[in-house]
Amino acid sequence: MKLEKINRDEAFRYMGQRGELTEQLRGLADECEARLLSAISPKLVYAVFDIEHGEEIFVCGTPLKLAGESIRGHLEGCGKCALMAVTLGGGVDRVLRELESSAMEKAFVADALASAAVEQVCDLAEEEIKARLAGAHFTWRFSPGYGDLPLEIQRDFLDVLNAQKRIGLTVTDSLILIPRKSVTAIIGISERELTPKTRGCSTCLIREKCEFRKRGEHCG
Amino acid sequence: MDFRNLLEKNDFILLDGGMGTMLQARGLKPGDTPEALNLESPQTLIDIHKEYIAAGADIVYANTFGANRHKLERCGYSVERVVRAGILNAKRAVAESANPNALVALDIGPIGQLLEPTGTLTFEEAYEIFKEEITAGSEADIIVFETMTDLYELKAAVLAAKENSELPIICTMTFEENMRTFTGCAISSMALTLEGLGVDAIGVNCSLGPAELYPIAEELCRWTNLPVVLKPNAGLPDPLTGEYNVDPKRFAEFVEKIVPLGVRFFGGCCGTNPDYIRELREMLSQHSYKKITREIPAACCSASRTVVINRPRIIGERINPTGKKRFKEALLADDIDYILGQAIEQTQGGADILDVNVGLPGIDEGAMMTRAVKAIQGVTDAPLQVDSTIPEVLEKALRVYNGKAVVNSVNGEEKSLQTVLPLVKKYGACVVGLCLDEDGIPKTVEGRFAIAKRILDRALALGIPRENVFIDCLTLTVSAEQSAAPVTLEAVRRVKTELGLKTVLGVSNISFGLPERVIVTHNFLTMALTNGLDLPIINPNVPDMVGAVRAFNVLAGYDKNSLEYVAAYGGENSSKVGQAKPAAHEEITLEYAIATGLKAEGARLTEEMLKTSDPMTIINGTLIPALDKTGADFESGKIFLPQLILSAGVAQSCFEVIKNHLAKSGEKSVSKGKIILATVKGDIHDIGKNIVKVLLENYGYDVIDLGKDVPYELVVNTAREQNVKLVGLSALMTTTLGSMEKTIALLREADLDCKVMVGGAVLTPEYAKQIGADFYAKDAKESCDIAKSVFGN
Repeated sequence: MKLEKINRDEAFRYMGQRGELTEQLRGLADECEARLLSAISPKLVYAVFDIEHGEEIFVCGTPLKLAGESIRGHLEGCGKCALMAVTLGGGVDRVLRELESSAMEKAFVADALASAAVEQVCDLAEEEIKARLAGAHFTWRFSPGYGDLPLEIQRDFLDVLNAQKRIGLTVTDSLILIPRKSVTAIIGISERELTPKTRGCSTCLIREKCEFRKRGEHCG
Repeated sequence: MDFRNLLEKNDFILLDGGMGTMLQARGLKPGDTPEALNLESPQTLIDIHKEYIAAGADIVYANTFGANRHKLERCGYSVERVVRAGILNAKRAVAESANPNALVALDIGPIGQLLEPTGTLTFEEAYEIFKEEITAGSEADIIVFETMTDLYELKAAVLAAKENSELPIICTMTFEENMRTFTGCAISSMALTLEGLGVDAIGVNCSLGPAELYPIAEELCRWTNLPVVLKPNAGLPDPLTGEYNVDPKRFAEFVEKIVPLGVRFFGGCCGTNPDYIRELREMLSQHSYKKITREIPAACCSASRTVVINRPRIIGERINPTGKKRFKEALLADDIDYILGQAIEQTQGGADILDVNVGLPGIDEGAMMTRAVKAIQGVTDAPLQVDSTIPEVLEKALRVYNGKAVVNSVNGEEKSLQTVLPLVKKYGACVVGLCLDEDGIPKTVEGRFAIAKRILDRALALGIPRENVFIDCLTLTVSAEQSAAPVTLEAVRRVKTELGLKTVLGVSNISFGLPERVIVTHNFLTMALTNGLDLPIINPNVPDMVGAVRAFNVLAGYDKNSLEYVAAYGGENSSKVGQAKPAAHEEITLEYAIATGLKAEGARLTEEMLKTSDPMTIINGTLIPALDKTGADFESGKIFLPQLILSAGVAQSCFEVIKNHLAKSGEKSVSKGKIILATVKGDIHDIGKNIVKVLLENYGYDVIDLGKDVPYELVVNTAREQNVKLVGLSALMTTTLGSMEKTIALLREADLDCKVMVGGAVLTPEYAKQIGADFYAKDAKESCDIAKSVFGN
């Protein structure tokens, strides 16, 4: 996987853009994007499992159990799921650290750009998975921490994928993924067509105070 | 039979193949803890080891890869039980096998959590985790650290092994096709650092198949004279099925191509089984091992960058409080950000290596050195030269340094030789030897040369390689002692040509007491380079000095086709990215500079204004009103956050000018109050907190920044000791809001007269109230308003 450019519009949206961009901000974004692109080393690991719908959703052949109403709804009608983990790699953390101690405005812009970049990498990953499983039907990506799917499954999730060995991804005791710009997600897979589920704000933790929502927009 | 006998046989050494692969074939599920089987199903392990020995393995790795405190947490067994059982199983397999001479390795993989600064595990914690495994595995014949991606973690592991065991050590790391590990470690850095630490063999394992590992093995062989180890995967896995794509025969064919590089240990990693080892044994029997000796260049390194001293390299001298009031103030105030700023500025100016000296009466130099080294290596990849007159401080620095450092310095005094050189040896560093001894600095070339020779001999006697010894022939002030300059230059030439050592000089000293110092310093530098100086210690922020080195590299033919020179000076050198350029005719005011984010202009205009106004007038009359205006524009939606931060950054550079001015004139800075900021325990997202910090500082508050992942007690103790009236806490994760609550509870318990403001993405005003905070700050701007109301200013 390789990232040629970063989705700037998205990044500026994360930054809460209002009004026209100044030339100065565009210059900042140019510089930060170039730094990031040379530091980003996108990596993906994924695997497909049968799932069993019981009290919780069991990921067959692994110790992983997916608890909660949200994931139950999300995987409804799916006989399998793909577990995926992506990361931009530790080089990005390095760049962000350096910028934070030399130029805060660049750190801020770079942080938002990196967040946009990891979403792009997720999209690429999703494409790759879908291409391998042509003919099947898929749900959108659902991550631990969405709705009532507990973040506590991160460790098992990474272990099942052998993610540290395969892509260098780890999780701290307080359940933060390291390197920082990384994502884990679950995609439901079905042989039959799925009723599209809205990817709405209802499962979002910060819906009450979200700046996008206040403006009648949404983030993703 | 032990490992050293095995090495003496001067033959290839065969390792085993994958363990996880074998266990999965016997029903281990993804996500299970394989090491639990040591106790639950010992026979399974014994059988696997026996199969590998039967296939020809001279060394088998016990099933202890993940048997550390962190990874075993969930299975409920202790490290000691699992490791002991693992070694015992392997030993039993050896005893029952056809080759009772086979050796058993205590196999240790990564902890599973990343170390600081990217992760949260400290170097010291990592050391303890490894120590526990090593102690438990004392019955093994060797220790193997494998699949490592972080050189820092591996260094903690090697130190733990060296300090708690006598066993030989093999280290293998995992590289990607870009020739780096996941954490960015370079092959040269791995080799230089580990050979320095005194391990017995180094190599690569996992991640790629033997075909892809060829260039990596080739590069590694170039950088070491230690035996080299290769344990490839059975090709690359199919992402969907997990199947590897290289069969045993082809595996051995690919590995055969690597044999002539001089690799000595072979085995397999993920996807391989005894068939692969059997094929390797068969293939190796057709070859005989030939040791290839290579010349390793003089070099130092960080984990991600190696600086080879095959041409002049610049050592930046600015991280040193001597004669710098502002720097001293920063040290006394524990202001690590100031030091980081100096580090980054110097590397941007052209420094290849950074000298780090934090010696100042009244501070704990050892503790500060540890903090400084850890922080600096987190933001720059330039190798460090650790600089102190106190051996204990040098050791602290060397211990936590991630790479191969330079020690500044040892000298010809007996006491110095006896205390410093053993540290250089233990940590595998380079060392600067000063040409002085009990009798001072010799006045003659012969005198200095003799000391250089003595230092070299003593280093060699301790086993420190010649290329790791650099000599400083010492620069004296020419205005005081005019005859000394030629002595220094001639001594440099002789040390370089007759002893074949690299030379160092602190050049700036030459011009002390003279007007237009840079002219003298610059010319002395050029003369010294011509006489063979390799490592000038200079201020890389002075363009003339860096220019002299760059020009020398062109003229002496090091900079081929002047590429680097042109890159530095040619083309559009005015590309101050991120700085809006004001129209030439425009009259720029400080207000304008702040509103539009012109950092350099802001600083320049502040300098100007200081000539006619006093600092407080500038702060209260111009800076604060300008900041208030951008704050108001932000609130009303005229500008958005990056612009607010830009303006704050300009104001920060203005304040830095004022602080420098005050430090020089000896006036005390005026503080509006002390505020603690911390990202709570367990949380590491500190960009929000850092933005708040910049803004608060701009409004004249003294911010005590405790950083991220801050223990509850530290917040309470700091608030008590420094009598702080306002504490700001930040958390971004729902999982760390609990830490925020606990920190507040402890603050309340301590019954301190202090207010608490909180902020962070998942917080709400209601939740803030519920956990006992006094204020909820929705953004950085609001935190300034809160501070104003708390301090009434």
